[in-house]
Amino acid sequence: MAMKSKSGASHDMPVPSYGIAAGVGAGVLALYLLTLAPTTAMWDASEYITAAFTLGIPHPPGNPLFVLLGRVASLFPVGSVAVRVNALAAVCSAISAGIWFLVAERVLVTWSPLRWTRTVAAITAAVLAATTFTVWNQSVVNEKVYTVSLAFFAVVSWLTVLWCDDPDGRYADRLLVLIAYLIGLGYCNHPAGFLVGPAVGVAVIARRPRTLLRWRLLLAGVLALGLGLTPFAVEPIRAAWHPVLNEGEPTGCEQKIGFACTFSETTRTRLMANINRDQYGKPDLTVRQAPLTAQMGMWWLYFKWQWLRDSHGTQQGLQVILALVFFGLGIAGGVTHWKYERASFWFFGPLVLTVTIALVYYMNFKYGASQDPGLAGVAREVRDRDYFYLWSYSTWSVWAALGLAALWRTLAKGAADAEPRRWLTSSPILLLGLFPLVGNWRDASRAKETATREWAHDLLNSVEPYGVLVTLGDNDTFPLWYAQEVEGVRKDVTVAVTSLLNTDWYPRGLLHRPINAYDAAHGPAVYRGYTNPAPTSPIFSISAAQLDAIPEYVDVRTPQVFQQGTLRAIVDPRRLEYGVPTRGDLMVLQLLKDNLGIRPVYIARTSGAYVQALGLEPYSLVQGLATKISPTPVGTSADTMQVDGFGHLDLVRTRALWDSYGAPSAIIRRGDWVDRPSVGIPALYAMTAFMLGEAVARRGDAAGGDKLRRRSLDIAEASRIMDMFAPGDVSAPLPSAAGAESGDVRRQQRVPVRP
Amino acid sequence: MRLQLFAPARRATLLRATAAAVLFFGYADLVRGGTTAAPLLIVLGYMILGPAVILTWR
Repeated sequence: MAMKSKSGASHDMPVPSYGIAAGVGAGVLALYLLTLAPTTAMWDASEYITAAFTLGIPHPPGNPLFVLLGRVASLFPVGSVAVRVNALAAVCSAISAGIWFLVAERVLVTWSPLRWTRTVAAITAAVLAATTFTVWNQSVVNEKVYTVSLAFFAVVSWLTVLWCDDPDGRYADRLLVLIAYLIGLGYCNHPAGFLVGPAVGVAVIARRPRTLLRWRLLLAGVLALGLGLTPFAVEPIRAAWHPVLNEGEPTGCEQKIGFACTFSETTRTRLMANINRDQYGKPDLTVRQAPLTAQMGMWWLYFKWQWLRDSHGTQQGLQVILALVFFGLGIAGGVTHWKYERASFWFFGPLVLTVTIALVYYMNFKYGASQDPGLAGVAREVRDRDYFYLWSYSTWSVWAALGLAALWRTLAKGAADAEPRRWLTSSPILLLGLFPLVGNWRDASRAKETATREWAHDLLNSVEPYGVLVTLGDNDTFPLWYAQEVEGVRKDVTVAVTSLLNTDWYPRGLLHRPINAYDAAHGPAVYRGYTNPAPTSPIFSISAAQLDAIPEYVDVRTPQVFQQGTLRAIVDPRRLEYGVPTRGDLMVLQLLKDNLGIRPVYIARTSGAYVQALGLEPYSLVQGLATKISPTPVGTSADTMQVDGFGHLDLVRTRALWDSYGAPSAIIRRGDWVDRPSVGIPALYAMTAFMLGEAVARRGDAAGGDKLRRRSLDIAEASRIMDMFAPGDVSAPLPSAAGAESGDVRRQQRVPVRP
Repeated sequence: MRLQLFAPARRATLLRATAAAVLFFGYADLVRGGTTAAPLLIVLGYMILGPAVILTWR
């Protein structure tokens, strides 16, 4: 069937195979659901699931469109909340796979004569794009908002391809206006939504430059773009209700929502700071955080992962060969695209360039967490950021599949058979497109990952009822938010993360947090019959204004005395992260001051030597995965013993808690760990089991001690902790004390350079 | 001949009015603290009705 334009020009263009595209999308969705995470995961997954469920505000820019979509997904009456939000990522990526099928099929029309060959090659494009490591891995757990962005990319791509086909057609202007609207809407999901803009601009200039002179159409486009940006209004409205997740607190309303405080300068300033991500204070693009060659090297490192992840480096040769093959196929696909289908190339070519070279330049990353491990003394990203190039690898896959189709065509032309048969006999070359599906399955699948959920329960349960738990960063905080707010576990515990205590809004948010009753029926057995009274005082004894007045840092570099009642600690700034006490450190001291003797106060053992840096070692008592700070010095007793390197250990409590922990079994069952920067979490379990085993053996229970030490080794083996110390890798950067890197929650620190 | 309930121009106007109403009630519910109907209406307004309005604009 031919398409006819308004101008009367008939385009001999077959109708796109929308039915097959839907089938391809459904097939990809089935794959994703088969490998879907059954619950939350490390890094930002818990934050986004919590934000979606509570209609809260995640870290800047706040992603209002994602939060709305996630909230709608969380209302779907099948599976757990986590599964529903994870499935949102799967659905978005499946939609993009279906659309990449349409794009590839359209491109192939002009140079692949048989319909079935186009269909098969386009299916290859969709499968390849869906199974590259990062796309697959990010589609089976909602760790980021990038799969939603990918769906917007794909939809805008298809609309632009349609426009390029018929720029004077009946719907051409409406398509452009719709594209502008979707770019605006995509920006409300993530700023990456704007990345398709330059490619659309190039396509318009190349296909119909006079479009830029049609001011009414341009005005309509600008208005549509503006309309697409209006979901940002959700942020100040929700922020004024002070949801549990209210990052950046983009509202001037201190108690409840109101007209005057919503339309205030404070709201505007805070909202714009959120949208512009001021919190992260990235340097100007002219100040490179790593050489551009190293930044391109990071892209290449993650490019290699796409076709065969090989997370433990057992098939590095094959990985490089596959990367070179798919790189070459992508180039061939791009050249073929340019040669035979110029109209859509003017969009897709610039799009690939934008999400590759331009994005590498714009992101301006430090060295990747696992890039050039032998290179010491360079600034590194806290984790591997392959997900920022998800769009790059997805679009590259389409070109790689086009390259594969071109290779197929060449082989078919050279074959001696009759026309349809020679295509058939040379078709096995397309099987190359299935390599990522097979090679990435093990690493991309999240099907058995339950350890993060268990870890959150275990850490919360290490804290006595109504306790305050000081944590360090992403991985010892976000999972706890998820457990508390989504699953309703141990909501009585107040989690205070040091990296966010450096901000102005987070301490204020802690003041808003209600005191939740301890649910003894669902708590661990160790607290049955526990009679801690519910505290009535707020977590801070000082007002929001007084909290705001705490400085960003105090320029003190010599040991200082911190005294609270019987507790007298020597705080040594030289042992703190920045060499001086920051606002976060001062907030922790304020928490100690206001809560010791009122609430149990703990510091998560993920915080490394933070207890020692604050001079609290004589007052610390290890209980499971957290260290309790006592108002008086801790001594040795029947239940409490000194363990070398760990300080005082509450043997009875820790053993009882250990027996209730779920993560050790989950880690062993999974038989692997998600990534190296967070491997400190299983390491903490392994250390705890080992320490406990030693202590138990010293108390005369040799069999019990052996069992615990074996468990320690099982955890270490399953999570491959020993890989960190593999020969030849000794200079590689090790994860932070327990993998709880500050990660993305870090606020820009305006503190002096560490002496 | 296909029976049409409304003329295309009338239908476009109706669609615009529906989209505006859905978004208005969505935001209104959000302002009063709603977390269920509000996101449903706002998503419907932006993701379905918004594009439909643009594609049928006359």
